[in-house]
Amino acid sequence: MGDRKRSIVETRQLEMIYRMGKIGVHALRGVDLIVHEGEFVAIMGPSGCGKSTLLHIIGGLLTPTRGRVFVDGHELTAMSDAERTDLRRRKIGFVFQRFNLFPTLTVEGNLRLAERIYSNGGRDQVGDPVREREILRLLRLDDKINHKPTELSGGEQQRVAIARAVINRPAILLADEPTGNLDSENAEIVLRMMKDLNQHFGQTIIMITHNPEAASMANRILKMRDGRIIS
Amino acid sequence: MFIDQFVMANLIERPARTLTCVFGVAIGVVLIVVTVGLAHGILYETGQRAKNVGAEIMFQPRGTFGPSLMSAPLSLPVAYCRLLRQIDGVQAVTPVGRYVRSGTGGIGFEVIDGIVTESTDQYETYAEISGIRIIQGHDISADDEILIDAQKAKNRQLKPGDGYEIFGRRFRIAGIYEPASGSRTKMRLSVMQQLLGALGKCSSILVKCVTPDIQEAVAREIDRRFPGNQIILTRDIPRFYSEGVPALAVFVRVVIGLATTISALVILIAMYAAVMERTREIGILKSLGASKGLIVRWIEKEALLISALGVLFGYGVAYLTKWGLTTYTSLIIRFDVRWFLTAALVGLLGGAIGALYPAAHAANLDPIEALAYE
Repeated sequence: MGDRKRSIVETRQLEMIYRMGKIGVHALRGVDLIVHEGEFVAIMGPSGCGKSTLLHIIGGLLTPTRGRVFVDGHELTAMSDAERTDLRRRKIGFVFQRFNLFPTLTVEGNLRLAERIYSNGGRDQVGDPVREREILRLLRLDDKINHKPTELSGGEQQRVAIARAVINRPAILLADEPTGNLDSENAEIVLRMMKDLNQHFGQTIIMITHNPEAASMANRILKMRDGRIIS
Repeated sequence: MFIDQFVMANLIERPARTLTCVFGVAIGVVLIVVTVGLAHGILYETGQRAKNVGAEIMFQPRGTFGPSLMSAPLSLPVAYCRLLRQIDGVQAVTPVGRYVRSGTGGIGFEVIDGIVTESTDQYETYAEISGIRIIQGHDISADDEILIDAQKAKNRQLKPGDGYEIFGRRFRIAGIYEPASGSRTKMRLSVMQQLLGALGKCSSILVKCVTPDIQEAVAREIDRRFPGNQIILTRDIPRFYSEGVPALAVFVRVVIGLATTISALVILIAMYAAVMERTREIGILKSLGASKGLIVRWIEKEALLISALGVLFGYGVAYLTKWGLTTYTSLIIRFDVRWFLTAALVGLLGGAIGALYPAAHAANLDPIEALAYE
């Protein structure tokens, strides 16, 4: 990605220590990272290297022990819990390994819920129906709109989760092992669709993966070990 | 509104939890509506019987109305009858004694009237004033005979000739009368006076006016002539019964407190269980950026919806209970819109209060821990 693009995520000397009684476990040891607008970044590394911790901190779900995090120009680490929640609502979309859809709702219901949360329970402006249709078409979910998650395959469920994450135009999509629960065929479909989202909508994506083939879809691959980015 | 659809989906997808909560809230509603309705029904019916004595005025010593009426001692000289009869506009008078004892099996109480069955130059008989008539058996003709009303005969399956114990003595039912008037059991006043050691005394004197429209003027005249006594217009008695029983107000407050507690506890337990069960979902909501306020609103909405269903279900059960009780027992229930509204308020308030802790717990869950919850 070109240097002229503005940074959408930036971390400075990020450290995270989990306290387990008197013992402190270092999950992150001074992580410096810049992700530019429109980038598709894959983060790889062995289990326990701090990938998920880094993603959760960027997403405002965790507070780092030290260091600073900026998302779309806002310093996350200087915010209160309520402000971080608000930023997450407006700027960040999450995709998890386990899909995390609401089983009681249809595909449409899951998307509407995300829109409702984005609109702060109906107080703010609700999402764009044109974009919603485009995303559903791109993710090939047009004909699944009235299905409940239990009526969908794993791949379809993950595509719904992606649609839900990007429906409100987040500045950044954070994907934590999005293909971890999928067979290779569905994994490839999901990855291709994430790539399409990145290319067609300019969606910034940070994806954690163990899978080198998945990582190869990204514009940039970062490798982590022992709480540090090593390359 | 979508969030309502989300709430509805949660209610439908978890029917056992929803039904348990609905039943819990309904119990509170039924508790209020039925028990208060029953209390008011009994008091109203007692008041109606007291009103149905045929006389417009009840004259008695001060401080013996209301609950104390139940245990009014025989302290009023029967000789007042002659004096009352001399007042302009008074057509007839009759003395009545009143004795109260524990009800059958120690539950409730039983009131027995002492009445005069033969008129004198001082007073008329109770039957002459009240208009009661014997529908089975005969009038009291001996000291060991009593009368009961048709409702009591039906409830207790009694008939003329059956024995009946009062004051530890064996009485015999001489006859059954209609309509219900005063207490359901009547004995000779002279016998009651003897047994209570109050010869020449009664509890109250019933005063019948020449026409009902002069009752207030007659009452004023009685008050002028015999100050310090209590003069009650019998038309007001049902209202006194329904409004003037302090113990009922305490009872109702206890019932409301109990119903609120039940509703709140049921919702608290059920919603807390639901929050625990849906910990992961709450984590997802948080990852989507749902604020604490939104999560609290969502859980409170769910609790209020359940409570509203519980209130409606409670109304249904209350009406069913009324139908059952009035069809198969002699109990009377009087429903009042005010208590339906109170029950609704209690159900909704209990639900809202009960959901507060689970809602606060959900709102404060750590999103990472919630997402990792199995």
